[in-house]
Amino acid sequence: MDRRNFLKTAASTGALTAVGGLSAPAIAQGAKVLKFVPQANLANFDPVWGTQYVVRNASQLVWDTLYGLDGKLQPKRQMAESEEVSADGLTWTFKLREGLKWHDGEKVTAKDVVASITRWTHRDAMGQMLKAINKELTAVDDRTLKWVLSKPYPKMLYALGKVGTPCCFIMPERIAKTDPFKQIEEYVGSGPMKFVRGDWKPGALAAFEKNKDYVPRSESADWWSGGRVIHFDRIEWIIMPDPATASAALQSGEIDWWETPLTDLVPVLKRNRNIKVDIADPLGNIGAFRLNHLHPPFNDVKVRRAVQMALNQEDYMRAVAGSDKSLWSTLGSVFTPGTPVFSDAGGEALTGPRDIEGAKKLLAEAGYKGQPVTCLVAQDQPPLKAMGEITADLLKKIGMTVDFVATDWGTVGQRRASKSPPGQGGWGMFHTWHAGADAANPAGHIAARAGGEKGPAWFGWPDDPEVEKGVAAWFDAKTTEEEKAAMAAINRASMTSVTWIPTGFYKSFQAWRSNLSGVSNGPLPWFWGVTKA
Amino acid sequence: MLAYILRRILATIPVMAIVALFVFSLLYIAPGDPAAVIAGDQASPEDVEKIRRSLGLDRPFLVRFGEWSWRLLQGDLGTSMFTGLPVTELIRQRMEPTLSLMVVTLLLTVLIAVPLGVVAAWKAGSWIDRLIMALAVAGFSVPVFVVGYLLVYFLALRLEWLPTQGYTPLKEGLWPWLETLILPSVALGFVYIALIARITRATMLEVLSQDYVRTARAKGLGQGSILFLHALKNAAVPIVTVIGIGIALLIGGAVVTESVFAIPGLGRLTIDAIVRRDYPVIQGIVLMFSFVYVLVNLAIDLIYTVLDPRIRY
Repeated sequence: MDRRNFLKTAASTGALTAVGGLSAPAIAQGAKVLKFVPQANLANFDPVWGTQYVVRNASQLVWDTLYGLDGKLQPKRQMAESEEVSADGLTWTFKLREGLKWHDGEKVTAKDVVASITRWTHRDAMGQMLKAINKELTAVDDRTLKWVLSKPYPKMLYALGKVGTPCCFIMPERIAKTDPFKQIEEYVGSGPMKFVRGDWKPGALAAFEKNKDYVPRSESADWWSGGRVIHFDRIEWIIMPDPATASAALQSGEIDWWETPLTDLVPVLKRNRNIKVDIADPLGNIGAFRLNHLHPPFNDVKVRRAVQMALNQEDYMRAVAGSDKSLWSTLGSVFTPGTPVFSDAGGEALTGPRDIEGAKKLLAEAGYKGQPVTCLVAQDQPPLKAMGEITADLLKKIGMTVDFVATDWGTVGQRRASKSPPGQGGWGMFHTWHAGADAANPAGHIAARAGGEKGPAWFGWPDDPEVEKGVAAWFDAKTTEEEKAAMAAINRASMTSVTWIPTGFYKSFQAWRSNLSGVSNGPLPWFWGVTKA
Repeated sequence: MLAYILRRILATIPVMAIVALFVFSLLYIAPGDPAAVIAGDQASPEDVEKIRRSLGLDRPFLVRFGEWSWRLLQGDLGTSMFTGLPVTELIRQRMEPTLSLMVVTLLLTVLIAVPLGVVAAWKAGSWIDRLIMALAVAGFSVPVFVVGYLLVYFLALRLEWLPTQGYTPLKEGLWPWLETLILPSVALGFVYIALIARITRATMLEVLSQDYVRTARAKGLGQGSILFLHALKNAAVPIVTVIGIGIALLIGGAVVTESVFAIPGLGRLTIDAIVRRDYPVIQGIVLMFSFVYVLVNLAIDLIYTVLDPRIRY
């Protein structure tokens, strides 16, 4: 018995019990409960309306998907029992697994799937591509649906099973008919856990209870594919905004699993024999330096190249992830290293020797006359603050004038959408990061696009037809070799026209109590297969 | 007296109206966009615009203010843009932890600070006085979060006496409730103990030099009854005033304390709402806090009449 329990027991026999008694557990005796601290607050619970990762991570417990990616980023069947595609690649027929049920006991039908896919196609980049070539999406019978396209779409299964947000979660038809730009108000799914609406305190707690009717697939779990077997009666997501608090709670055993420990606190956790620490997501994150291509000075490719040739990714990575080199690496690519079709063609522009003098010369050639670069730096996001400070120093070193706007992420989120000149509410550059799972290929990686002001392009609106040609080639690719060639073309073009500048590749940790087993790594915290002794 | 209370309650209406207009205007001109936060990083600018429209954020200031005010008059604080839950429900969910934290902190503060101040005044110039005042300076100087982390480290992690974080509702028992509040209350109360101890000492020093105290001593009254029955009662009005002001400060301090101890209270709700630009929630909380503050001031004015019968309204 530890001291706290001793005190508790002593108190229970004393006067305090006369007043109120000791805590009555909120859940049944003997129930297996997992206490998990997620990366952020679950402020809303609609994975199509709100595309934050934390919403997706919670949604995977409640809603199922037709397909799910495995560890090799290959789509595998989930709710789908089979699929057929016509010889011309225009008609897809999907059959659902038997015995799928919603949490309210109703059967999952093809009509539900049709409504869910339709809602998703309004919000997702791949979904929008499918919407553009959609001819007919109908339920043939209760378990069969047919999708007729006007153009073949080889990435269909990847689109339906990808982990990049928004994912194609399947909801009951009545819920899926909600306007995709409005939030759903009912949280009925068919996944392995049920959302406990009554216990939801946004900013504090979200709770999930086991769906006893869930029939997992027979295959063993592999990332988002295979049997999603949950070994807990209840999973509690406890929101802890302060990393030091989460660290203390994990050390004292008040929580079981912490999704994103701060790198600075990891040494303390590693010293504790009751805690295990490991890389959370092997696909990590890519730091990003976004440049505004619409206005001087970054509308000139020579100025963009000047920054690119001077930028030292090691400086950025040390500032973001510390000196532990197992956590980060330099990266000559806009894509995630270690993924099946990765390419860093042309990446020497970033990983070769750095050249401050060359950058100064290039700026002079470009006729740069000291226009200020408006740097939007979010102070409330530690990686972005760190990168912003390195950038301010870098730009000054090569002779640029810096207008350092220290602000919060909410303001960056608003201001980066402005196409006005920097002096009139616009901007010159900002930092962000892209999850490696999203940046593994062009499918969910809108930041890699370069369609200019008319799109598709992300904030900064780079315009490079070569990049877009490569993206189109990737979507049309039928073999891995074709995909690899397309990825190389995209990366080479991105590096040449400096659409944006990756600042390096870094990973983060996760930590859990050593009485948990089965914790694996991946772009999401997978709860299936985890057990507690 | 009743007429006075009614007058004061009626006077809150224009105060609340001004606060409402001020808060709404301030949020309108503040930078940041809830639609961008909702849409997420992968969203296109067009999607962000559509969400903005669906939230009604594209409408003119007066239309939005008029609509919000009208709902407010009907007792409806609106709906959170993010959670889709009514603001009143969000506030209700968070009320108990914050209220508990404030009440326990206030009790702790008064129970520790007032006797300390009295003793310091009684032993003015002695080492006891100097020690108490040194502790008060330390209380002023050390930020709440530092005290919080130190308490967690020593009392929760090292000694394992108390939990490191969280909140247990009172309905689950007195001790479970209290054990989650002890550390946060001590951390939050540290600065107020210092403040009230100093005020008590200063006020008591003035009172102790009055003729009636000398008379009480001459009558042979004990030190305890002179200090606590005669002197403290007459020194109470400024002390109560500072305690009242302290409640407003406690609201501010609760924001940090609730974050450090992961207490799901109104302070954290406020921060979350500000970070996300959840306008209806921010407006609702500010209005509620303003109302509470007006009521606290009214309560303090009424307590004056109890402490000093010469005060009449």
